[in-house]
Amino acid sequence: MAVPAARLETKATLGVANPRGGLARVLGPDYRLGYLFVTPIAIAVLALVAYPFCYAVYLSLTYKLVGMPPVFVGLENYIRLYDDGFFRRAVYNSFLFTFGSVGFKLVLGMLMALVLMSKIRWRSFWTGVLLIPWVAPTVVSALNFLWIFDGSLGVLNYLLVKVFRILPQGVGWLSEPGTAMASVISVNVWRGFPFFGISFLAGMKAIPGELYEAAAVDGATALQRFMHVTLPGIKNITIIVVLLSTIWTFNDFGIVYILTKGGPGGSTMVMPVLTYETAFGAQRLGEAIAVALYLLPGLALTIVVLARYMRKGRKR
Amino acid sequence: MDSRLRSLAEQLDANVIARREFLRKAAIITGGTAAGLQALNQMAHAQAKTKLRVWLFKSFVTGGNDVLAKQVEAWAKERNVEVEADWSTFGDREQKFVAAIEAGNPPDMAEMNYQGPMRYKPALRDLTKLAKEIAGARGGILPYAERYVLIGNQYFGVPRLAFPGGFFIRRDILEAKGIKPPKTYDPDVIEMARKCQEPAKDLWGLGQTLNRCDDGNGFMQNILWSYGGSVWDKDGKPALGTTYLKENLQALQFAIDTIQKHKIQPPGVMGWNDVSNNEAYLAGKLVSTNNGASLYYAMVAKKHPLAEKTQVILNPGGPAGSFSGTGAYNWGIFSKSKYADLCEDLIRYVEDEKRFEEYMKACIGQAGPVYKTRADHPYWRSDPNFEGMVQNILRSVWTGHPGPITPAAIEVQAQYILCDMAGRVVVGGLAPEAALREAHKRVEDIYKIRNRA
Repeated sequence: MAVPAARLETKATLGVANPRGGLARVLGPDYRLGYLFVTPIAIAVLALVAYPFCYAVYLSLTYKLVGMPPVFVGLENYIRLYDDGFFRRAVYNSFLFTFGSVGFKLVLGMLMALVLMSKIRWRSFWTGVLLIPWVAPTVVSALNFLWIFDGSLGVLNYLLVKVFRILPQGVGWLSEPGTAMASVISVNVWRGFPFFGISFLAGMKAIPGELYEAAAVDGATALQRFMHVTLPGIKNITIIVVLLSTIWTFNDFGIVYILTKGGPGGSTMVMPVLTYETAFGAQRLGEAIAVALYLLPGLALTIVVLARYMRKGRKR
Repeated sequence: MDSRLRSLAEQLDANVIARREFLRKAAIITGGTAAGLQALNQMAHAQAKTKLRVWLFKSFVTGGNDVLAKQVEAWAKERNVEVEADWSTFGDREQKFVAAIEAGNPPDMAEMNYQGPMRYKPALRDLTKLAKEIAGARGGILPYAERYVLIGNQYFGVPRLAFPGGFFIRRDILEAKGIKPPKTYDPDVIEMARKCQEPAKDLWGLGQTLNRCDDGNGFMQNILWSYGGSVWDKDGKPALGTTYLKENLQALQFAIDTIQKHKIQPPGVMGWNDVSNNEAYLAGKLVSTNNGASLYYAMVAKKHPLAEKTQVILNPGGPAGSFSGTGAYNWGIFSKSKYADLCEDLIRYVEDEKRFEEYMKACIGQAGPVYKTRADHPYWRSDPNFEGMVQNILRSVWTGHPGPITPAAIEVQAQYILCDMAGRVVVGGLAPEAALREAHKRVEDIYKIRNRA
């Protein structure tokens, strides 16, 4: 005979032992079916994310040469890297490259969004044009800039020296530490600012027009409207975009590798390039993974803090 | 559905046969069909060609690449073997090897550079018998090339060729100025460069980067040897900042002076890569540069006007003489290959003297000798520019000289430590001695790590 649902509910509410057991009481009567649904995705995540990640962590604790079995060395790779001046410079360069790029992208992206929000002709056309750097493959962009920045045959020096006669002699864009770092940052900015711009544009379009009208009635200037209506309205989008761009820029390999290979004299060596060189140049795979994982805790912490901040903002 | 099974099903439906009868007959039909398919499958496999995975090296010398591809195809046709030929380049060669070996899926055989036998030895087959057989018929392997393949008493590669290098000079400019080809870097190259260059016209005396690339690496290594120094001592221990400190410091100072003091190099040279000097030379912006024969190939093959105006000479020397490090390319067979005999047969085929001659001529100087009899081939006397190239090869030393070639010596090259050392002075503002000691520490670290293995 079937037990009426109301009676079962009453038993559960009163804490009376459920004949189906504790799990059913906590997770609901269909919890077995839930497992069935969750299992495939859990297996996929374990196989494609958790296993490779755990194996990478293990390898970073080993001395691993190509074609040889790994030998466990504990934290030795991490300790040696900490003492390595070349690695420390790479860490410094990575932060400089990342924050320099993200800062410029933020400003340019905001400008792009504001311009596209204003009443300009052919807005869709300009939106498409500004998206070109974002959709162009990194390798193609970087190779083009390699030619543009070339000290002897590059178009930039040609324009500055021969066409506009601004400089008496060409600049070694990729041959001096300062200009080399500025060059790789500028290419990253060129590639990345449309993402900021388009994201901000989407955010700005979602801000109700009444807010601007009310601010205008109250006598707010354009700057005040931007500071007190636009910026708060796109705060969450800004955080997400900055967060994503920070991660992408920190892991950007192609631009630096193609333009400078970390040179001259290691002045543009960033961590992804160092990881690559340690893996394929030195062929010390354990140490290469240690390079890659070194700043992972810091980055993860940043992500967690930002994500929590965002959630808090949404609750308010 | 099989028509016989359908017929049986219809009979069952019509109660013509019993269920048990249906099952018995269906099992016979299904089993028979499966057995037949299995037999057909086996016959098909018996007739399938053996598939050989071969990795070849694609150099800038496209004429040579085409000849090699054609020869491999011809061999495959003759032996009724299917060859899956894949090309690797300067940019992706090591990455492909590392990925394939680590994945446990290397090719059957591959054309490797000088680092290959030492680096991938755990995954390579001992080729001592074949290497001795081929070398024996060609007067023996040249000493520098043998060092790269002979590890202990075993050969882990069969030498194929070397990319010769040379010092490219604009003969027309030197003749116009009445200057003889330089024999030493200091003072000959400096004086030649100063007298011939015209910075106002963007013509520079020397184009030699010290940046992180193979050209920078090769030059820095050669210049240390030419000044009597080295990264390694005779026992293969680090000597950059110890045994040869004085000589290495002089060599480093000279390299830096070409940019900072003598100003004979174009602006931006520290940002160059391996193709930058080729492009600058072909654009008529350099009086001289160090490069491989591929630059000469590019000029001759494309009938560039500078081909006639260029002379390739021996690398200039220093106080200790003129030294040159040439890397030999080698054939390797991976130990996982099930077709080692076929691989050996292919190596014999392409290394056949007539076939190699065809390849060598298509390469216009790029296929330098690794065997004694090939160095004596009349081809090397057919063009005055070949003389400098082949002489550079004949007096070549190896990575690690004057010590043995070691994994540590290979890694110092692969990590561009000498380029970083020069770069730290030229663009990093470090004193030469401080940069040298910094580099020495990196070399020592590599030595310790590698020796643990």
